[in-house]
Amino acid sequence: MSLFNSRTADRGLAIALIGLAAFIASQALSLEVPFSYDPVGPKAFPIGLAIILALLSLVLLIRPGENGEWPSAGVALKLLAVLGLLLIYALLFQRLGYLMSSGLVIAGLARLFSASWLKAVATGVLMAIGSYWLFTLGLGITLPGGSWLG
Amino acid sequence: MFDFLIDGFGVAFTPLNLGLAFLGALLGTLFGALPGIGPINGIAILMPLAYTLGLPAESALIMLAGIYTGAEYGGRMSSILLNVPGDAGAVMTTLDGHPLAKKGLAGPALGLSAVSSFVGATIAILGLTLFAPLLARAAVLFGPAEFFALMVFAFSSMSVMMGKDPIKTAIGAVLGVLIATVGVDSGTGVMRFTFDMPELYDGIDFVVMIIGLFAISEILLMLEHANRKDSEAELPPLGRVFVSMKEVMLCKWTMLRSGLMGFIIGVLPGTGASVAGAVSYTTEKRLCDKEGTFGKGDWRGLAAPEAANNASAAGSFVPMLTLGIPGSGTTAVLLGALMLYNITPGPMMFSENPEVAGGLIASLYIGNIVLLALNLPLAGLFARVLTIPRWVLVPGIAILSFVGVYQLHSDLTAIYLMLIIGIFGYLLRKLGFSLAPVILGYVLGGLMEENLRRALAISGGDTGILWQSGISLGLWIAAAALLILPWLFGRLSAVRTSRSA
Repeated sequence: MSLFNSRTADRGLAIALIGLAAFIASQALSLEVPFSYDPVGPKAFPIGLAIILALLSLVLLIRPGENGEWPSAGVALKLLAVLGLLLIYALLFQRLGYLMSSGLVIAGLARLFSASWLKAVATGVLMAIGSYWLFTLGLGITLPGGSWLG
Repeated sequence: MFDFLIDGFGVAFTPLNLGLAFLGALLGTLFGALPGIGPINGIAILMPLAYTLGLPAESALIMLAGIYTGAEYGGRMSSILLNVPGDAGAVMTTLDGHPLAKKGLAGPALGLSAVSSFVGATIAILGLTLFAPLLARAAVLFGPAEFFALMVFAFSSMSVMMGKDPIKTAIGAVLGVLIATVGVDSGTGVMRFTFDMPELYDGIDFVVMIIGLFAISEILLMLEHANRKDSEAELPPLGRVFVSMKEVMLCKWTMLRSGLMGFIIGVLPGTGASVAGAVSYTTEKRLCDKEGTFGKGDWRGLAAPEAANNASAAGSFVPMLTLGIPGSGTTAVLLGALMLYNITPGPMMFSENPEVAGGLIASLYIGNIVLLALNLPLAGLFARVLTIPRWVLVPGIAILSFVGVYQLHSDLTAIYLMLIIGIFGYLLRKLGFSLAPVILGYVLGGLMEENLRRALAISGGDTGILWQSGISLGLWIAAAALLILPWLFGRLSAVRTSRSA
């Protein structure tokens, strides 16, 4: 069972893209251009693209095509969980530092991809430490140490 | 005329560059062999790390090219062993490759695919050496108007050839070009689509774009695959490790024909490995399949797409190096990588940066031999990579993506942007889009606008200049023909079948 029907999805996409095209065109039209020797200027190209996008979307609206398989509600929930974890990773990356935040997120991701708790935690610890060495010593990348350390 | 190649070998044979070619080939094969990660994802994940090494342009490109060809090699493993193509280019490899593995001939099948990949790539690299300088000389005649027409041609050939749905391919390309317009307009200094966010003034960073589009969306797709029942596949036994001379000789004409065909298809802009594999397979099937063994584990059915897709991978360097127009999504990524080094590939590259052009071509020769040497004896080891569980693989991709983007500016905004682009990429893939046109549009978009505006600045705003010269007029006609002819043929055959019914 999937969340949407493929035709509805394509029609929705087409309408959204037409909206996007209108938005782009209006944004481009409102650009204030200082005098320049360039006869085209910065407006024409985006406006032209917006027109092409709108035309193509109209075709899609009339003749919607094939989609991939949409996830079921349960899988969609898990997808949101993965995205949530990645967002948390971004939020904590500098605050907790690389080692802590990576360890937590690696363990969480491994668990979401159906590893047992033990395996998930072990992966988190080992991968966080191993990758920290690889990145800082091997590649010379500066990674955040974490503000909580002081 | 081959001075550039001699110089190139001089560049490629330095210990550093030899080591990088080797490292790139090894990493590329490993990443290509990882379940679900095709060449383009592999390059996207590894590229930012290549930057942190602080390499000169030609060395970085040599390593990236090694990763590229290595990933094409590695991609065949999951096709043959698990019947799961790593990317679109490897779909045809499953047809005869997997039946061979089921017969207990997985080892020799991997060996034959390594040999045919080598033959195909060698043909194409020879072709590249011969044609690239010639084309570069012709391309010097190209002015901005001709380049603009050429890009229009590239986009229309891509819409027709790439992906199942031409409309979606075209929409994807337009979206890619639109993303490229974000940031300061170089002609006038006007901010476009930056919404007063200083992080967007320089446009959307190339690394952020490819990691988001390919790596992050791949993580999301992998979660879906993990929830299907057939996800945990068993590796079949490899059987004997080496392919016999008899089996190779059986395929020699198939390899030569497919390699040549793959090269020509690779040279055409917008048509990559997937088209090359499909065309060569169907051709060989028509020529050789007397006993109806194709699709049931025929050696030639495996050799044809493998020779062709590696040949097209090398062939797509021709338009990229000489015209600055990538022939495939993956070369588009490589082109973007070069632009980060302020090198714009194009006709002038052979004269202005001969060490880059020559060094790259020379390293393709070396990388190809390295790959054969790695892949014949170590196939069993690489096959082991396929059994890495997703719960190790996915966190690995996640931290590589985060660190790759973070090290650009030590900045979190880039990471949020990467996540947003990742969701965008995932939705596009779910909606039946292929991502290659998006990245091609993104890479070519800036050049396209620049050339259009330069052409019109020369003519003082008269649009006639766009189709005045013979070259550009020819390109416009070819572009229009590509768009109209398939539709026309479709109509004609529809009329015919309805009459006969």
